[in-house]
Amino acid sequence: MINGEKNYFDPKVLAGISNLYLRARWVVEGMMSGVHRSRAKGFSVEFEEHREYSPGDEIRRIDWKALGKFDRYFIKEYEDETNLRAYLVLDASASMDYASDGITKFDYGCTLAASLAYLILKQQDAAGLVTFSTRVEAFIPPKAKRDYLIQILHALENRGPAGETNVGKILEEIGGQIRRRGLVILVSDLLDDPEQILKGLRLFRFKGNDVIVFHILDQAELDLPFDGNILFEDLEEANLKVVADPRSIRNTYREVVQEFINEMRKQCHDSSIDYQLISTSTPLDQALASYLSWRG
Amino acid sequence: MSFFFLHPLYLFGLAAASLPILIHLLNRRRMKRIRFPAVRFVLLSQKRISRSYRLRHWLLLVLRTLAVIFLALLLANPIFQTGAGLFAGSGPVSLVVLLDNSLSMTWSGDGDGFKRAKEAAGLLISALNDGDRAALIPTNISGKEVFRLKGEKEVLLKELDRIEVADGVANLTASLGKAYELLNEPASQKEIRLITDMGLAGWDEFSLSSLKHVDPSIQLKVIHIASKQKPLNSTVKEIRLGGQGVGVNLPLNLETTVANFGDSEIKDLLVQLSIDGQTKEQKLTAIPAKGETTVSFQTRLNQPGSHTGQVTLKKEGLAGNSKAYFALDAQDKLKVLVVDGDPQTSLVQSESFFLTRALNPAGERDSSLYLPTVIVSDGLNTTSLDSYQVVVLCNVPALPDGFVQKLQDFVRQGGGLLIFGGDRMQTDNYNLKIAQSSPPMLPAPIRERKLGPEANGEKIDKIDLTHPALQGFTDGILQESMKSARVWGYSRTSAPGKSALITLANGDPLLLEQKLGAGRILFATSTADRDWNDLPVKTAYLPLIHGLTNYLAGGKRGAMDGGIPVGATKEIFLPPSYVGKSLKITKPNKLEAEVSISANKDRSVATFQENDRAGIYRLSIPGGEEKGSGTPKLYAVNPPFLESRLDEISQRELQEKLRPVQVDVIPVEALEKGGKRTDLALPLVGLLIVTLLLEGWLAQRF
Repeated sequence: MINGEKNYFDPKVLAGISNLYLRARWVVEGMMSGVHRSRAKGFSVEFEEHREYSPGDEIRRIDWKALGKFDRYFIKEYEDETNLRAYLVLDASASMDYASDGITKFDYGCTLAASLAYLILKQQDAAGLVTFSTRVEAFIPPKAKRDYLIQILHALENRGPAGETNVGKILEEIGGQIRRRGLVILVSDLLDDPEQILKGLRLFRFKGNDVIVFHILDQAELDLPFDGNILFEDLEEANLKVVADPRSIRNTYREVVQEFINEMRKQCHDSSIDYQLISTSTPLDQALASYLSWRG
Repeated sequence: MSFFFLHPLYLFGLAAASLPILIHLLNRRRMKRIRFPAVRFVLLSQKRISRSYRLRHWLLLVLRTLAVIFLALLLANPIFQTGAGLFAGSGPVSLVVLLDNSLSMTWSGDGDGFKRAKEAAGLLISALNDGDRAALIPTNISGKEVFRLKGEKEVLLKELDRIEVADGVANLTASLGKAYELLNEPASQKEIRLITDMGLAGWDEFSLSSLKHVDPSIQLKVIHIASKQKPLNSTVKEIRLGGQGVGVNLPLNLETTVANFGDSEIKDLLVQLSIDGQTKEQKLTAIPAKGETTVSFQTRLNQPGSHTGQVTLKKEGLAGNSKAYFALDAQDKLKVLVVDGDPQTSLVQSESFFLTRALNPAGERDSSLYLPTVIVSDGLNTTSLDSYQVVVLCNVPALPDGFVQKLQDFVRQGGGLLIFGGDRMQTDNYNLKIAQSSPPMLPAPIRERKLGPEANGEKIDKIDLTHPALQGFTDGILQESMKSARVWGYSRTSAPGKSALITLANGDPLLLEQKLGAGRILFATSTADRDWNDLPVKTAYLPLIHGLTNYLAGGKRGAMDGGIPVGATKEIFLPPSYVGKSLKITKPNKLEAEVSISANKDRSVATFQENDRAGIYRLSIPGGEEKGSGTPKLYAVNPPFLESRLDEISQRELQEKLRPVQVDVIPVEALEKGGKRTDLALPLVGLLIVTLLLEGWLAQRF
C-alpha cells in the first residue's frame, strides 16, 4: 500500500506495480513534482552562442536577460538543435536476477531504465534501449517519439535475465553500433572483469558520448547479511560454488566489495564517466536525481 | 601429594566437552544453499582471511570445549592435596589410625621412628573436623582389646600419648581386623591410615583372608617411616647352655649366637655377659654380612637357686635388639642315690665303698659338691627318685617291676642312671626288664660274664675323649692312670666295641651309653669296687666317677631358660600339689598378674599369655611354696629375633598382600610438611571466566 509521497520511489512499493509503464510514470511524475520546485529549468544540449534576432525566429527563444542588458534582441543558439540521444544499456544477465528482499536487480534496472526513458521522451529527447547478457539481446535505436516509450517498455518486459555477463565485450559491440554521439546510460551490476568494463566505457567516451553508469547492487551483495554455514552458488557460473561462514568473512567481504566499487568509481572519474552506485533498496528518485544533476 | 574430587559424579559432565565439536560437525552438515551473484567476492574474501579465520575457528572450538571441561571440573570440585593428605571427599570422616608400635620402630626413621610416628598420628588427629570420628589402634595388640570411634580430639591425643613401643612384632592381622570392624558401619567417608616402618616381621604372618570384615572401598594409606641411612643391624639370636647342667661352682658354659642382618661386616662388636646384674665376661667379635657368629662364655655360679642373666651387644650406632635375657636355676649339691647290691658288714667290702668315697671323700655333708645316699636293693620299691639327679646301681641283682617304671620316668625327665655290673647281677632279669624293654634302657643285651685271673686282666685301650663325661682325661697323667688299670672281670654285651666310651684292649666295651628322653644311662660292664678291676685304687677313678656323675646329672642339674619370644604363651609346670592355687607373676615393668594352677597329668601347670614385655618374669606362690618342691622362680621373655631385622616389605609385596584393598604408600615427610588441602574450585572459576571472555571476544571478531 502506498501511504503518502515518501513511498513513491520505494523499490518495494514499485515491485508491487506490475505494469512497467505505470511504474515509470509513477516514479517520474512523482519526482517531477519535486523537480518543479527546484532550480532545474529543462533539458537542452550545449549552449553555443547568441545571435541577433531576425524576423521569423521563435519569440520564445529570445534571451530576455540579454535584452535587459543590451537593449537588443538576441536569440540563443545551441550546438545541436536536435533532441538528446540517450542509449539506455541494461544488463540482463543472470546475475541481475537476484533479490535479497523485494525487488531484483533486474527489475530495479528495468524500472530505472523505463523511468529514464519516460523522462527523456517526455522532454522530447530521443531514447533508445539496449539489453544484453552474453550478447546483445535487444537494440532499439533512440527516437524522440512519445509513443516510442511503449516499444522500449515492451522490450524491457519481454526480456528476463539470463546467461552470463560479458559487459566489456558487449559495450564494445554496442559502441560500434552507435553512429551519433549521445548519452550512454549503463545499468548493470558490473559483475565482470573491471578492466573489460572500463575498456568498453572508455570506448563510448572516445566516440564523444557522455556516459552515466548506474551500478546496481543488492543490499545483500554489499553487506553479506547471512548467518550459518552457507553454500554460495553463483547465478551465472554453475561451477562456481563456495562454502563459507558469512560471519567470519563479512568484514573482509565488505572491504573487498568496497575496494571494487572504489576502483570502478575512480576509473570512471578518471575517464570523465559519471558513476553512480545504487542499491536496490535505494529509492528510485535518488537514481533519477543523479541523472538530473548530470543533465544540469 | 594427591588429587581427588569431592563430587566425582559430575565428572560425567566431561562428556559434554564433545558438544561443541558435535555442534560444529552438525553445523557443517546443515549447510544452507544460497544462489548469489557476488560469489567471486565471497571467494576472494575467504582466500584473504583463510589462515587467520581457520586459526580463530579452531581457537573458538578449543575455548568452548575448555569451557565445558572447566565447568564439569568445577562441579566435581577438585581438591589438590599437598603432603600426605588428610581426608578425601566431603562429609564427616570415620578414621582409624593404626600406629605401629612394634620394637623395630625404635630403630627406624634413623632412630627417631616411633617419635615421628606419634607426631604423624597427632597430625592426623588434629586435622579432624567437627563431626569426624577417629580411633587410635596400636599394632601390638592381642586382639582382645576394645576400641571405638570417638570425636574428642583431646581424648585421642591423650591415648596417643600413652602408647609406647612394645617389645614384640606388629600384630597387623588383629589391628587391621579391628579397623575394619570399627568401620563396618555407615559413614560418608571411611579411611585407614597405617603409620609404620613397613618392617618385614609384621607382614610375615599377615593374611588378609583371615580378617572377618574387609572393605576394599576403604582407602588404606600407609604412612611410611623410612630411614635415610642403613645402620649396622645385629641382634642376639640365641643363648644356649654348653655342657651339662647348671650347678654351684661348676663351670657354666653359655653359647651366644649373634646375627648380622646387614650387608656389611660388623667388626669390634662387644658382647657382654651379665649374671644377676654383674658383668661376668665380655668379648669382642666380628660378624660377617648376613651371617652369624657364636660367642662362648664360661663362668661359675657361687650361689644355688635362681639367677638372671643378660647378654648385651655394644657398638655405636647399632640397630636391632641389643639385650637378650635368660634365667638360670643352679642346683646346690648333686644328689646321688647309690644302690648297693652287695652290702657287707665291713664298709670297705661293700660294693659302693669306693664309689661313695669318690663322691664324698671326707664323708661329711658340706665337704663335697656331691651328696651320695646309699641304700640297699631291698628298699628300691619304696624309694622316691624325685629329689635325686643321679641313680647308681652297683651290682644290684634284680630290678623290681615298680622300680623299673620309676626309673624310666626318672631318666626321661632328665635324670641320670649309672649301672655297674658284678657277680650278683642277674643278666636275664636286666635283659628282660631294661634291655629288651621298649624303649630300651641298655644299649645292648648283656651276654655272658668273662672272668679271669687278676694277673691276666685286660687293659683299657680306648677312651672317647670327645665325650663330655670323659673330657677330663685329656690330661696325660689321668689318661695314663686310667690305662694302667686292669679289668679281669666284666659282662660281655652285644654292642660293638666301637660304640663304647671306654674300650678294653680286647675290643670289648667297658662303658656304654644309652639316651632316654632328657636323661642318659651309662652302663659299666665291670664292677664299681675292686672285685673285677683295680680302677677304684687308681688316680683316674675319682675324676672318672665325678665326670660320669656330672654328665649324667646334666638334664636334672639346674636349668637355663633361654626365654620365649614376646607375645608367646608360657606354661609353668609345678608339682601336682599346687593344683587349685594361684601363681603370682611379676612382669619386668613391675606389673603383677595372678594365674590359676590347674592339673596336667601327674603335674600341675600355670599358663600365662600376657608376655608383652621383654625381660625377666618373677614367679611366686602366694602363701608360700612347698619346701624342696623345685618351683621355678624366674623365666625370661625376649623380643622376637626377626623383629630386629630392619628389612622392609616392598610396596609391590604390600599391595599383593592386601589385594584387593587399594594401598597407597606415602612417606611420612609428606604428612609432616603440612598435609594442606587446596580447593581448586576458585582457580577453575577464574579459568572458566577467562575462557568465556576470550571466547566472547573471539566470537565478536568473526
